[in-house]
Amino acid sequence: MLKTESLSFSYDTSHVFDFPDIHLNQGEDLLILGDSGVGKTTLIQILSGLLRPQTGFVEMNGTSLQDLSSKSLDQFRGSHIGMIFQQSHFVRNLNILDNLLLSLYLSNKKQDKKRAIHLLQEIGLANKLNNMPDELSQGEQQRAAIATALIKAPNLILADEPTSSLDDKNCKKIITLLKDQAALTNSKLIIITHDQRLKDQFKNSVVL
Amino acid sequence: MNINRLSWLNLISNPFNTMLSLLLMGFGIGIISLLLLLNNSVEEKLQRNLKGIDMVIGAKGSPLQLILSSIYHIDNPTGNISINEVNKIKSNPMISSTIPLSFGDSFKGFRIVGTTHQYPKLFQANFKSGKLWSKSMEVVVGSDVVEACQLKIGSTFYSSHGFIDGGEVHSEFAYNVVGILSKSNTIIDQLILSNSESISKVHNHKSDPSHEHEGVEGSCSDDHSEMITALLVKFRSPIGLIKFPRQVNETTNLQAAVPAFEINRLINLLGVGIQSINMIAFIIIIVSGLSIFISLYNSLRRRRYELALMRVHGATRFQLVRLVFQEGMLISIFGLVFGILFSRIILYLVSLFIHHNYSFYSIQLSLIKEELWLFPIALFVGFIASLIPIIQAYRINIPKILSNV
Repeated sequence: MLKTESLSFSYDTSHVFDFPDIHLNQGEDLLILGDSGVGKTTLIQILSGLLRPQTGFVEMNGTSLQDLSSKSLDQFRGSHIGMIFQQSHFVRNLNILDNLLLSLYLSNKKQDKKRAIHLLQEIGLANKLNNMPDELSQGEQQRAAIATALIKAPNLILADEPTSSLDDKNCKKIITLLKDQAALTNSKLIIITHDQRLKDQFKNSVVL
Repeated sequence: MNINRLSWLNLISNPFNTMLSLLLMGFGIGIISLLLLLNNSVEEKLQRNLKGIDMVIGAKGSPLQLILSSIYHIDNPTGNISINEVNKIKSNPMISSTIPLSFGDSFKGFRIVGTTHQYPKLFQANFKSGKLWSKSMEVVVGSDVVEACQLKIGSTFYSSHGFIDGGEVHSEFAYNVVGILSKSNTIIDQLILSNSESISKVHNHKSDPSHEHEGVEGSCSDDHSEMITALLVKFRSPIGLIKFPRQVNETTNLQAAVPAFEINRLINLLGVGIQSINMIAFIIIIVSGLSIFISLYNSLRRRRYELALMRVHGATRFQLVRLVFQEGMLISIFGLVFGILFSRIILYLVSLFIHHNYSFYSIQLSLIKEELWLFPIALFVGFIASLIPIIQAYRINIPKILSNV
C-alpha cells in the first residue's frame, strides 16, 4: 500500500506546492494529470524519495520514507521503486541486456539473465539484446527504459511523462505495456503527465 | 554485471582518451624507471671495480682520466712513470700493498694489461680453465674477451698498438693463452692479463725513434729504465688517504688520484643531466595526471544522466565514487605497468647494440628498490586526478539532473 498525507514542498518561499493525498493499493494504478509548472516532477521525486517533503509523509508497505537514512533510502528505492522518465536514460557503454543486469545488480537482486531476455522478448526487443542504447529508435529506447525499471519487479512503478515525446501509436503501446507489466507483477502504477491522451485509459485520476 | 566490469567497459569504450592518459603515464614512469636502472647499474659497476683500490699513481694529467684509464680502462692513460720513482714511494709505511699496471696495446679492441698476480686476485677472479701466467708472453683472458674473440687455451695472437682495433700490429712476438677466467662482472672480464715484462718486450725491440707511443713508450724514450703506466695503491689505514695523495702531488713528478673522490665528482657531473631528465619525466607524469583528470571530468559531464540513473536504480553514493575512482586508478596502474615494461624493453634493445664496450648495460629485469617509489607516485597522481570527478559524483544532484530534461 502507498499512502501520502499533506505533502508540500517549496523551492523558494514565494511559491509552495501542496499535493493531494494519495492512497493506492497493490495492483492499482493512478494517473496524475497536471500542466507544466504545477510540481509534477517534484511530486514524483518526493514519492521516490529523491526529495524530502517539507511537510507530510510518504508511507509505502509500512515503511515511512522519512525514517530512512539516505543510504537505506537509496537501497529502498532501488529494490521497491521502478522509475521511468520522459527521456529514456541508459548507461551508454552497456548494451541493452547489460543495462537490465546492471539495474538488478544495483538493486541487490539476482542477475537473472534468462528473465531479462524473457522480458525483452515480451516487450518486442528480442533482437536488440546486444545493441547499444544509441542504436535503438526512440520508441524502442522508451520500451527498453521501461524494461530496466520493470526487471526488478518493483512494488511501485513511477512514470514521469512516459509518453509525451511519442506519437499516438507508440503512446498507446507504451501505456498498454506499462499496465500489463504492472498487472503481471501486481505492482502499483503511477503515471504523472500533462498528456491528455491518457485521460481515458485510467479509471483513477487526480488533477494537480 | 558489477562496478568493476562497468569501469572497465567505460575505459575501453573511450579508447583514445584512455590511450593518451595511459601513454603519458607510461612514458613518464618509463623514463624515470630507465634512469633509475641505468644509474643503479652504472653506480654499482663503478663501485664494484673500486674495491681494494684506495689510490692510483700515474703520470701528471687529469686525475679523472687517470682513474678512468687505470681502473675502468675506458680512457687513454695519462702517460708513463718510471719504476724507480715509483719504488721510492712504495716503501712508505702508510702503504699496505701496490699493484703495477702497464698498458697501451690491445687485441681486437680488448686491452692487454701487464701486471702482477695480485691484480686478478683483487677482483677475486676464478679460473674457468688453465692457470696464471708464469713467464713472459703468457696471458690470462677475461670471459668477455674469450667470447668475442673465440680464444681457447693454447691460442696465440699478436697485439696491436693503441686501444682501437686496427692499430699497428706488433707481429714479432705472439701472446699465448694459458688461462681463461670465469665471468666476474668486473672490468677484468674485458681484459687480457700478462706480466709487465711481456708488454715491455713487445715494445723494447723497437729502436725507431720516430715511432710514437702513447701508453707504454718506455722503449722509445731515452730513459731506458723500466716504465709502468699506473700503480694501484692500498693503504694500511684511511689516514693515508688524507695525507698521502697530497704529498705525492706536491713533492714528486707523479700524480696521485683517489678514485672515490673522482668517481663522486663524475657522478655529480652526470647528476645534473640525470636530474633534468628526471624533471622532464615528472612533468610528463603530471601532464598524464591532468589528462586523466580531463578525460574523467569530460566523461562525467557527458554521463551525468547515467550516474543519476544509477542512483535511481539503487546505487549508493559510494558505488558511484568507486566507479569513478576505479577508472582513474586503472589508468594509473596500467600506465605504471606499461612504464616499467617500457624501460626494460629499451634497456634490452640498448644492450643488444652496445656489446662489450663498457658493458655497463647488463639488463636488470627485476624491480630495483628505488623503483618502488614509482608505485605510490603513480597511484597518488591517479588519485589526485580523480579527486574532483569523485567529489562531483558524490554530490550529484539527482532531482536537478533528471528534471532538467
